[in-house]
Amino acid sequence: MDQSIIISVNNLSKFYGETLGVQDLNFSVSQGEIFGFLGPNGAGKTTTIRMLLDLLRPSFGQIHIFGKEIYDHSLEIRRRSGYLPGNFSAYGNMTGADFLRFAGSMRRTSPKLQSSLIDRFQLSKEDLSQKVKHLSHGTLQKLGIIQAFFHQPELLILDEPTIGLDPLMQEEFYRLLFEVQNKGKTIFFSSHNLAEVEKICHRIAIIRDGKLVALETLESLKKKKVRRLKFILKEPVDDLKLPGANLVKQKDLYYEYLVEGDMKRLLQKLSSMPIDDLIFPEPDLEEVFMAYYHKEE
Amino acid sequence: MAYFYFIWKFHRSFLIFSALVISAFQFLILKLVTTIDYSAITSYLLEQLPENVQAMFGQDFISMLTVEGAAAFGLNHPLVLVILSIGAITIPSRHIAGEAETGTLELVLSFPVARTKLLLNLWITVLSFLFFIILFAVFSSLVSIYIFHQLTAGLFVKMITIGCNLWLLFVFVMSLSLLLSSFGKEGNKVGIRVAGITLVFYLLHYLSSLWDTISFTKPFNFFAYYQPEDIMTGNRSFSLHFVVLFSLILICLLVSLFQFNRRDIPG
Repeated sequence: MDQSIIISVNNLSKFYGETLGVQDLNFSVSQGEIFGFLGPNGAGKTTTIRMLLDLLRPSFGQIHIFGKEIYDHSLEIRRRSGYLPGNFSAYGNMTGADFLRFAGSMRRTSPKLQSSLIDRFQLSKEDLSQKVKHLSHGTLQKLGIIQAFFHQPELLILDEPTIGLDPLMQEEFYRLLFEVQNKGKTIFFSSHNLAEVEKICHRIAIIRDGKLVALETLESLKKKKVRRLKFILKEPVDDLKLPGANLVKQKDLYYEYLVEGDMKRLLQKLSSMPIDDLIFPEPDLEEVFMAYYHKEE
Repeated sequence: MAYFYFIWKFHRSFLIFSALVISAFQFLILKLVTTIDYSAITSYLLEQLPENVQAMFGQDFISMLTVEGAAAFGLNHPLVLVILSIGAITIPSRHIAGEAETGTLELVLSFPVARTKLLLNLWITVLSFLFFIILFAVFSSLVSIYIFHQLTAGLFVKMITIGCNLWLLFVFVMSLSLLLSSFGKEGNKVGIRVAGITLVFYLLHYLSSLWDTISFTKPFNFFAYYQPEDIMTGNRSFSLHFVVLFSLILICLLVSLFQFNRRDIPG
């Protein structure tokens, strides 16, 4: 197996009785990559992540992490990984400091890194001395981030990590991710927030109803050129048809299209029309994502 | 050791309370026997009652009026059994099924901790807690006997034997709770189920001593393998109790380990 492949997933399926969790997933994540795992709630993101950590056992298929089969080398893999669960929860009766001590006792942590992370995410002594059950969602999430990073793992598995963080903390978190990635660490980043995936990920897998519907680099996804074209006409035009574009919304003289493929004929057509105002932004990942979902539907 | 300390921090109030209440109860019940001589009066009164009513509480009641009887009765009193049951049932159900429900088990198992080790750590921890509570109770009984009566070597050995038997009984209840927790996803449900099973077996045990028609259930009831009065009078040997309870504990533990290792951990 290629040494640079950190996660390798082959024909992975999980059924809960007769209910499908995920089916026939195939993907790999290379060292130093930030891999985005995208999909709406209930698509199978968390099921996949739990299988990566040997919390759920696959019905079929195989997972190799660091080149080792997950079930046989579960302990070593978890030792070298950091995990932030989607709905991060810690023991309610512990204080934040107690929780970090407890998590630290389970791993070989770096106290220096821990205190620098505490400073970085602005956790005060007061926050750390409060019981976890009294902490705000954002503060709890910061604790979760610290416990995922403080042992300098080679692989980070993050499930919706920015939920509950304010925009400033989100930026700080992205900076931390890039720093970690620059040190050669690998990041598996699950999210349904397209903007953040677009901002930080190199490659993206899109999952829908338990099946992988796309696995591409951010650039090649964007090259799908699904754009949202909006314009207002000066006067009505009879039988308006734009090549390579699907009308999604129209009100009076306002038109909204999803545009795919070659732009040349479309631009020619637009240039001949009485347009009062036009918005045609860069391809947005959200449009690409929605296009995948519409196609499947 | 970290896990032991972690569980201790969670349950220390209850555990200290349990140890103190049971020990104080033992001490007082043994002191009480010395202060008034009820035996002649009570024996006479009981003889006036119908046979069935005598059977309901007569034997226990009369035997309680001797030092040996009181010591055995104290360690078999429903108060002691209920307090020990609470600890033996709730701690495993809370930390396995309960944590599966709240999601903390998912977090703990994302750390480099083997499932077998986690379960064994919990088992050993609760087993130690039960040991110390019962040790306190037995110690308190011995102190009370030493102060108010005469502590003989024979009585000392019997008290230790009863303590070991009581400990084994509740290690079994705890292992049963661990077993159901290894299947369960909700701590409260598991706790209620184990409490229900324990209560049904206790009632069955009690009723089987009154009604001959259900006396055939005795060998299948785990409470039948804790008979402090019989150990005190030398009517039954502890070795049979030991073998049965130890086997049940071992079966529960092995099945728990097997199931916990293969199960999915919900988030």
